[in-house]
Amino acid sequence: MMFSSVGRSLLTVARQQVRSLHRTTPACSDKLFVHRDSPENNPDTPFKFTPQNLKTCDVIIKNYPEGHEAAAVIPILDLAQRQHGWLPISAMHAVADLLKMPRMRVYEVATFYTMFNREPVGKYFVQICTTTPCMLGGVGSDVILDAIKENLGIGCGQTTGDGQFTLLEVECLGACVNAPMVQINDDYFEDLTVNDMHKILNDIKAGKKPKPGPQSGQDHRFACEPKGGLTSLNTPPTGPGFACRADL
Amino acid sequence: MAATLTSRLFGQISSSVRNGIRRSYAAASGGTMTTQPGEEDKVTTITVEDKMDITPLTGVPEEHIKTRLVRICVPARNAMQSGTYGTRRWKIEFDVRERWENPLMGWISTGDPLSNTEVTFSSKDDAMAFCEKNGWEFFVEEPKKTSFKKKSYGDNFSWDKRTRRSTK
Amino acid sequence: MLRLWPLRQVVSSAGARFIPACQKSTAPEPAPELVEVFVNDKQVFVEPGTTVLQACAVAGIEIPRFCYHERLSIAGNCRMCLVEVERSAKPIASCAMPVMKGMKVKTDSPVTKKAREGVMEFLLMNHPLDCPICDQGGECDLQDQSMNFGSDKSRFTDIAFTGKRAVEDKNVGPLVKTIMTRCIHCTRCIRFASEVAGVEDLGTTGRGNEMQVGTYVEKMLQSELSGNVIDLCPVGALTSKPYAFTARPWETRKIESIDVMDALGSNIVVSMRTNEVMRVLPRVNEDINEEWISDKTRFAYDGLKRQRLTTPFLKDANGQLMQTDWESAFLAIARKLQGVEGSQMAAVAGGLVDAEALTSLKDLMNRLGCETLCTEEIFPMDGSGTDFRSNYLMNTTIAGVEEADVVLFIGTNPRFEAPVFNARVRKSWIHNDLKVAMIGAPVDLTYEYEHLGETVDVIEKLAGGNHPFCKVLESAKRPMVVMGSSCLQRSDGSALHFMVSTLANRVKAASGADAEWRVLNVLHRVASQVAALDLGYSAGVSGVREAKPQMLFLLGADEGAITRSDLADGAFVVYQGHHGDQGAQMADVILPGAAYTEKDATYVNTEGRAQLTRQAVTPPGMARNDWKVLRALSELLGVTLPYDKLQEVRQRMAEISPTLVRVGEIEEANFFKQAIEATKAGKTSLGKEPLVPPQQVLKDFYMTDSITRASPTMAKCVQAATEAESSVH
Repeated sequence: MMFSSVGRSLLTVARQQVRSLHRTTPACSDKLFVHRDSPENNPDTPFKFTPQNLKTCDVIIKNYPEGHEAAAVIPILDLAQRQHGWLPISAMHAVADLLKMPRMRVYEVATFYTMFNREPVGKYFVQICTTTPCMLGGVGSDVILDAIKENLGIGCGQTTGDGQFTLLEVECLGACVNAPMVQINDDYFEDLTVNDMHKILNDIKAGKKPKPGPQSGQDHRFACEPKGGLTSLNTPPTGPGFACRADL
Repeated sequence: MAATLTSRLFGQISSSVRNGIRRSYAAASGGTMTTQPGEEDKVTTITVEDKMDITPLTGVPEEHIKTRLVRICVPARNAMQSGTYGTRRWKIEFDVRERWENPLMGWISTGDPLSNTEVTFSSKDDAMAFCEKNGWEFFVEEPKKTSFKKKSYGDNFSWDKRTRRSTK
Repeated sequence: MLRLWPLRQVVSSAGARFIPACQKSTAPEPAPELVEVFVNDKQVFVEPGTTVLQACAVAGIEIPRFCYHERLSIAGNCRMCLVEVERSAKPIASCAMPVMKGMKVKTDSPVTKKAREGVMEFLLMNHPLDCPICDQGGECDLQDQSMNFGSDKSRFTDIAFTGKRAVEDKNVGPLVKTIMTRCIHCTRCIRFASEVAGVEDLGTTGRGNEMQVGTYVEKMLQSELSGNVIDLCPVGALTSKPYAFTARPWETRKIESIDVMDALGSNIVVSMRTNEVMRVLPRVNEDINEEWISDKTRFAYDGLKRQRLTTPFLKDANGQLMQTDWESAFLAIARKLQGVEGSQMAAVAGGLVDAEALTSLKDLMNRLGCETLCTEEIFPMDGSGTDFRSNYLMNTTIAGVEEADVVLFIGTNPRFEAPVFNARVRKSWIHNDLKVAMIGAPVDLTYEYEHLGETVDVIEKLAGGNHPFCKVLESAKRPMVVMGSSCLQRSDGSALHFMVSTLANRVKAASGADAEWRVLNVLHRVASQVAALDLGYSAGVSGVREAKPQMLFLLGADEGAITRSDLADGAFVVYQGHHGDQGAQMADVILPGAAYTEKDATYVNTEGRAQLTRQAVTPPGMARNDWKVLRALSELLGVTLPYDKLQEVRQRMAEISPTLVRVGEIEEANFFKQAIEATKAGKTSLGKEPLVPPQQVLKDFYMTDSITRASPTMAKCVQAATEAESSVH
């Protein structure tokens, strides 16, 4: 018995001494950071800035000093992505030519920022936040994610057969107060419930434009105000001279 | 050739015998030295004027004295690495004699006893003196001096389009 | 901002407003006050703006580093150079931090050591433990520095074998092998490619743990200097493909030698093992190649093992070349030469021949009464021709381009004719705002230049002062005119040379450059040319064509300048050289010689700088050092040459031209006025054809002489470069 307790304590000591810095598998990106020619994404993929967008490009480029056109690469890549829906390598080449910068420098920018989609995405790009606040807030992002999967019949990182929807699980989108939330293209849909999610997706499928912003999760609040009404700034602002000496 | 070598050696040895071993040692090590001949306390200084030449004593065959050309240099830094160890001392290098592939292992053999001689010196003058006293012809290759360039991290963000770097 | 305001930027690059740039440089600059820094309590004084790392170097302390490289911009991303500075809260990256007054740097303190151990632990966490199969093993900065500065243990445990990062390898062509998992992201290769080589094909893609160095698209690294990234890589991520798994650095002998693939004479280190050249590395020489060498210099060595002439050959009665021994070959020559007049003989020297062999050949032929000694490479001989050294040298010197403010290239593509020189021009273009202009076919020089035209009439206009660019040339303080020897191969070469000399003299007079500044430069293509001209060879084989000789001696002449039809019927041709190339094919007797890695020899580069190659390996088979072959032959011909030792040959060279034995030095030549006066203008008139350098695109670069033509690696490069041309990326 004594021996066993000694053995136990030894074991505990030994366990305490073993420390490791790194235990979990590092989360790896599911994106590829090299280019592989594919039928839809290759240097011959047709891409040309529309005349309207070229004018916008000019305006953007003029924001920067002469000879420093390369500074406009992020907004112009974004413009190209908006025009084409995603960012094929031919669009990167077009941007490089437009800004007179080496192609590699454009690839670097396009691969660095995750919001540039270097693979085709659906017309509606559904990004669901599953970071901790969204996972815990409201009904939680888990059920929302399940609802989307059920509604669209696709998993994360997949696109529906008709090319309408792409679902992506992302990290925090900065709307934690209104958790859970999804971003569809440029719009945030917040304070979601499962029903809201279905409704939004069905509306989109039906060609309607659902109203972005907070949904029914917190009784259709206006923005991110507290549930029980304002706790501060709830009285009219005091005028000048408030709490000052009378002679001032 | 052999005869001349023998006679040279013989002459040297006989003179060594005449002057005593100490004297010839003085000649071999060059410069000045003090001796105490016999039991006397008197200090004598012998200055040897001629260049030191130890070739008659080393036993190196004449072929490896007369025909060799030595390069005195500072080894170049290995371009594959940034460290500069091994580029501070001078070394001597002999001209290369024929090498052949040894059928036993495939490595190379040579009949040149000096091919693996690696002597390093702390200064060029030491190396030259060493070659002189061994009777080798030599030439000195001065190390390539590197220029000092002022560098600044700020250049990466310089207004000048050419030095500005976008690679990071 | 520590960088001085660039002079010519003040002047603006618009060109029209190009006013003399001399205002600033002539004013005496106030001596910069030195900053006092203490490195491990040792006091040193350095210029303000120096980095801490450089200050430590002045104090004799080497700071470990991966990303910092003297010849590249500062990146500051490896963090290996962290040092403690007193009263600084955290260790600082010494490579990027400028020194400050009274700074106390501690390179050996516990804080510094701990910082280094930490950085090393992080670096090793994602670095594979494959040193035993890594080509960098034994000369790896990561290996050495982890031994020196790393900790003896790591907190990284990877029991499930899931944690180590893995990156897919890239295919960047036949020269550079990539094992990208080994990459530590120092970005040296990226900076080299974009700053020195001028090829912006390398970069980092992705970010965070996913970041990788590469080309994003599959693409050959299309640069003539690409091999240098192998040296720069501090780990084994970029290694040499031809050298892969062939040797370890501790097995090889390193022989410091000189390159002959172009006329620059880059300094190299030849690694030798088992009588075989294993690889070629650069050696620092600030005056010539800095720290770079071209891919031809680095990778053409496998051509030294193929197509070699290993025994003498003799044509038998059926006209077949048969192997023979030295004696019969010599006897055959002696027999043939009986009764042949000296005037019926001629000799042609090729582009890879050393000065010793050239001297011996000239002495031998002269003793036989022959005066027709030529080089294959043409250089105008009319007028003062090669009488003045200044006519055929790169007078400004290679390093001189860093002082120049305007360079005018005429009929040359320096990028491929002298890649390392071109890198120097690019460096000057970046840092000194050098202005470059070019007459000739438009080629990619990796930097911007003003293209003035393709034809010679532009030179005429410039020489006459009726060209808009004259203003730029005249307002330059230190102008350079660089004429490629390739454009002098034309029939109007001498007129062209005269015209360019006139232009250079005019520019010099107009620009007010000081008397010592030399404007005219000739950029040669082949390594032997300057030595040959110094020794009194006549350039070009027109003399041979006129003479229609009975007997022709080819010394490494492989470019096919002379064919059988230029000789008398039944002429007797002797070829001496190291490769079975064009020259050997037309020969009656072949004498095998030694290549540049197989002899102690002198080569004179385009600046007129004599340099020595060192013997690394023994010539294969019965091949012998060239001057010794000629010496032996002379004995059989009854005109014994009076030298038995290398030193004696060099004494003879010194008698002919002392510059040939002043190793590593440049003898300044400054007889431009006299040269012009001695030349009568235009025996031939200028042609109308455009000036087109023979090497225009990368695939032209790799195979230019008998060694590179025999090299399988160079053949692969040509193939890859050809494919890359049609690649969509």
